[in-house]
Amino acid sequence: MDEQDLVIQRFLDHDLTPDERVAFLQSVDADPALRRRWLNLELVIAEAGQLPRIAPSTKFLSQLKSRLAPHPPGLWERVRAAVTASHTLEWNLAGALTAVCLAVLAIGGAVTMIPERIVEVPTTVPQVRTTSFTSAPDPKILVRLVLLRPDAKSVEVAGDFNGWNPAQTKLEPSDEGIWTVTLSLTPGRYEYMFVIDGEQWIADPFAIEETGDGFGAKNAVLDVAI
Amino acid sequence: MKEGVVLSPTTPSTSNQNRPKSLDDHDDLDDAQLVARSLARDHEAFGRLIDRHAPSIVNLAYRMVGNRTEAEDLAQETFLAAFKALATFRSDSKFSTWLYRIASNKCMDWLRVKRPGQGQYDVDADEHLDFHLAEDRTPEDLLSQQQVAQELDLAIQRLPPLYREAFILKHVEGLSYEEMEDILGVRGDTLKMRVYKGRVQLSRELTALRVE
Repeated sequence: MDEQDLVIQRFLDHDLTPDERVAFLQSVDADPALRRRWLNLELVIAEAGQLPRIAPSTKFLSQLKSRLAPHPPGLWERVRAAVTASHTLEWNLAGALTAVCLAVLAIGGAVTMIPERIVEVPTTVPQVRTTSFTSAPDPKILVRLVLLRPDAKSVEVAGDFNGWNPAQTKLEPSDEGIWTVTLSLTPGRYEYMFVIDGEQWIADPFAIEETGDGFGAKNAVLDVAI
Repeated sequence: MKEGVVLSPTTPSTSNQNRPKSLDDHDDLDDAQLVARSLARDHEAFGRLIDRHAPSIVNLAYRMVGNRTEAEDLAQETFLAAFKALATFRSDSKFSTWLYRIASNKCMDWLRVKRPGQGQYDVDADEHLDFHLAEDRTPEDLLSQQQVAQELDLAIQRLPPLYREAFILKHVEGLSYEEMEDILGVRGDTLKMRVYKGRVQLSRELTALRVE
């Protein structure tokens, strides 16, 4: 860049002082070649400023805005948000009571669906067997008492579970002379005796354990456990 | 001018004036306020920024790459990049300057990949330009106004990318050297030299048309 180029460029970039501008314009008046070089550059600048501008197409704007538009979250994002978001449980008394009722019904339904667990109570004689059934989660355990007495007309049982009142618990006979009754007992240790025909008190002759009754006889002992 | 390119005779400011007035209040907000709203997930606010600046960005990209489709793709990439990085925009600078910077980088990247012979490192190849053409007549002696515009458009495309970029920002987009420094991160003296070389080469090419 020579001295004249430098002055022309500084003039075009408005870097000359007012006095320098006057001096430059006077010099281009006096020098046709300098004037031509300057005017050609001025022409380029003027034409560049008037070049047609490219207007963005409607398609460009719509595509761009649609790409930037918020999209609805996908299934996985919704699931993750539902799992990870913290929630506040709002409740009232009616809702709480309804929930409790539903829970009770559900538990009751579950209890009826659970099959009974049969626990055999071993006996030492073939004609008497004691069988118990347990059900969870209720602590009550079903216990079946069995006595083989084909000759008996009635069989009752008296024990700690019925206040030693034989009239409250009667055994039911079957064709083969097997008498049975099912008791619902909580876990514990019980003493009991069978009452034959309302007058003969006998201990379960094949109970695993017996204990004295304080009157010279023995009571059968039944341990009920889960 | 390339065949099939639709040109708008309007400047960005006049095209904005012709746009139907929005029913919301986005038109009354400046760029910084629209950026703040965009960060607050106001989707319409960034749409308004697109409407406001797309003409300049598309025009810059077109002048840099010379193809409308490519220019709109680059402009789209520019706005998408700006949207993703909006949180990093410093409010003490102009949004338009930031956009120009992104767009310039996109265009230069495109030129490096698509036209490797026009990378920024090739610009010094034109240092030997003859700046001492003695002209007795202007290019307009033989060229009509429309012809001059068409030839200038093509001549700009032939400028080395760094000269092209500086010339377009200065004389097509009408930016100041201070704004160009912010956009390109280059000192003003260097930018003036690039613009100077661009002017001289364009003048030479237009004058050569007369000689032929």
